[in-house]
Amino acid sequence: MRLAGRLGGAALSLVMVAVLGFFLFRVVPGDPVVSMTRGRPTTAAMQAELRAQFGLDRPLHEQFFSYVSSLLHGDLGTSFTFRRPVAEVIGERLGPTVLLVGTATLIAVGLGLWLGVRAAWRRDSAFDRATTGVSLTLWAVPTFWLGMLLMMVTGDLFPSRGMRDTDTAPDFVSQALDVAHHLVLPSITLVAVVCAEYVLIMRSSLLEEMHAPYLVTARAKGLRDDLVRRRHAVPNAVLPAITLVFLRFGLVVAGAITTETVFSWPGLGLLFYDALTGPDYFLLQGLLLVTAGAVVVMNLLADLLHGVLDPRVKAV
Amino acid sequence: MKNTGLELRNLTVHYGHKRVVNDVSLALAPGQTLGLAGESGSGKSTVAMSVLRLLPKSARVDGEILLDGDDVRAMSWGRLRAVRWASASIVFQGAMHSLNPVRRVGDQIAEPMRLHNTPGSVTELLSQVELPEDKARAYPHELSGGQRQRVMIAMALACGPRLVIADEPTTALDVVVQAQVLGLVKRLVAEQDLGLLMISHDLSVLAETCDDLAVMHRGELVERGGTREVIANPRHPHTAALAAAFPVIGDPNHRLAGPGESTRGAFVLQERTEGPRVPSAAEPLLQVRDLRVDYGRTRAVDGVDLTIGHGEIVALVGQSGSGKTTLARTIMGLRNPSSGRVIFDGREVPRKGRALKAFRRQVQLVLQDPASALNPRHKVIDAVAEGLRVHGLPGDEESLVTAAVERAELRPASEYLQSLPHELSGGQQQRVVIAGALVLQPRLLVADEPVASLDASVRGEIVALLLRLRRELGLASLIITHDLGLAWQIADRVAVMHQGKIVEQGSVEQVLLDPTHDYTRALVRAVPQV
Repeated sequence: MRLAGRLGGAALSLVMVAVLGFFLFRVVPGDPVVSMTRGRPTTAAMQAELRAQFGLDRPLHEQFFSYVSSLLHGDLGTSFTFRRPVAEVIGERLGPTVLLVGTATLIAVGLGLWLGVRAAWRRDSAFDRATTGVSLTLWAVPTFWLGMLLMMVTGDLFPSRGMRDTDTAPDFVSQALDVAHHLVLPSITLVAVVCAEYVLIMRSSLLEEMHAPYLVTARAKGLRDDLVRRRHAVPNAVLPAITLVFLRFGLVVAGAITTETVFSWPGLGLLFYDALTGPDYFLLQGLLLVTAGAVVVMNLLADLLHGVLDPRVKAV
Repeated sequence: MKNTGLELRNLTVHYGHKRVVNDVSLALAPGQTLGLAGESGSGKSTVAMSVLRLLPKSARVDGEILLDGDDVRAMSWGRLRAVRWASASIVFQGAMHSLNPVRRVGDQIAEPMRLHNTPGSVTELLSQVELPEDKARAYPHELSGGQRQRVMIAMALACGPRLVIADEPTTALDVVVQAQVLGLVKRLVAEQDLGLLMISHDLSVLAETCDDLAVMHRGELVERGGTREVIANPRHPHTAALAAAFPVIGDPNHRLAGPGESTRGAFVLQERTEGPRVPSAAEPLLQVRDLRVDYGRTRAVDGVDLTIGHGEIVALVGQSGSGKTTLARTIMGLRNPSSGRVIFDGREVPRKGRALKAFRRQVQLVLQDPASALNPRHKVIDAVAEGLRVHGLPGDEESLVTAAVERAELRPASEYLQSLPHELSGGQQQRVVIAGALVLQPRLLVADEPVASLDASVRGEIVALLLRLRRELGLASLIITHDLGLAWQIADRVAVMHQGKIVEQGSVEQVLLDPTHDYTRALVRAVPQV
């Protein structure tokens, strides 16, 4: 019953995103046809032909209905810039983004939660002050600056552009190693920047549990300090962090525009940026749908997981 | 290891410069039961927590704490962990928060057994506290308050300790459940020959379970002796005050209200009411007729008839869940009844609109916990004036507020008007709440457990205030409580509520001394007797 309600809510959110996306991007300034033909001599007739080809000459409501009907058939339309189906364009950029942002998010979550727990447990210790200080500083630093700084400091140790070298041997192991090598700098940048969020939420959430009477009970039973923390404090303190973590997982596919730009990483963030300069309506709509879909699904998962981890939430 | 029980020698505890326990020496032989009484802030819980060295790091502990001959203060961490729960265990107050909310209670009971390698089974422990074995799979929030406290007790017995420390184990429970839990503790202590250190602010609870009694006041031990002896002949005035605050049902000395009381001369508290009795021929102030209130499919109030006369104090008693709060909310016009009538001063209570708002001014509410009833960021003057503002009453706000605050005996009012709630004591906060009600010049006060969260000495003052308001203003009250002692002290009449119905109604003497309904008898029997 509750599950059905959640699913319905998620579906409704997606429908609203699809409708909103259509109108939202049509407000973006710029004429896609002018952008498409920029730098080439064009006549008014050629522009009109392009408009007709993409259906841009029809009234807005007609465009909307044709968008909805092709959406229902699983067709996201054709990108103006790439002259290829939107689904295909997004599909080939999805992998790199999930690889980069996914890796970075996993590391940041793990590291952040661990640091947050340690910092809160020894509140006001040197460790606590160093952890919160450093992570807040990195949070405040501009991403592009940090990325460029890393490039300069590491010199030629790690590649700083793209995802793979053209001259790598075609076998799987060499390819994988090459991608991993390229992954180092952008993921370090991303982890450094987003980690603070997890450190701080875990720290404050554990600090709130620190004076809970059940921890006194656990100590009175004779538990070692680290067992009190691991078995009793953390399972309660981690609950509020779960929602945030999953929301962040949902944002993974949105990519990381700045990081991808700095390191020329061929991901969705970079694609989003390019699409906006069009504006490439169909591509933007498709991107919005994919990113919003991921957030909605992850949010749903967070809700369900919360029900499993916290018995007080009525089980599904 | 020899088993010599617990001995405290010159125990002194400081928090910063504040001394919360001052030179306390106590001995508890194995198998002995000792009650430690005192108000909040008397240091009794600090003493209890110091036995297993559970005080926060900011506490400085001096003196000796000998548990079976070893000084707990000097133990290594490893030794201390071995002693905790195995030599002495604790039944904490408020089992809701003292159990981990996300772990099954069976695991929590088993945890110390695994830790200390004690043989035994959770099922057996649960059966000792009279819980079915399938409760082991429950989470704390799935259990009732009494069941949770039983789980705490089972957990405390898990490693077969020789000493159990119980810190206000029944404070949050209502009378009937409290009686069951106390009975259980008593039985287990006797069966297993346990030492028991029981901490409570309620002498009658301690009298029920402990052979000896020690009384603490402001960090010092002021009295120690056999329980009956200490209560019958208190040597320290504070012990006398504690004993007096918990009225003995049936003792006319503790009866502060009602007709026919003037035959006795000696009063424990100096408040007596002759009461400006409004002519009885007049119509009663409030009449409830065949009232029914439903929550969905649950009938919370089921066919209730109740009258409150002008200037009359009626106590509505019953266990939690009996429907007494719902009844009160309906009387106040905060909830619409499913059927039946509420007649106030000869007229049906309006259900909506301006008429309802005007009616609400005449009936004011005083809640149990003043700390949560007051907005922590509102000054006293704003808290009291809020009702005036809501109802847009004419007149000079400050002088009306001053008058109400002084009526509630915060004198001089000017000293309190600019204070924030946290700067006031619990009793003063409750007076502010009462002033907030008085400022609207109500005819009926509905008080939901008005003294339950207050200390013994303050409790008497608030009871006296309510009686004085009745005498001077002719203010009628409906006191909602599960505390029969309070009903005995203050009420003219008692109505007993059980499962949505009023099962018995009559004068205090009649209902409490000669109950006719089985449920009332059970309630009266459940009250611990000093």
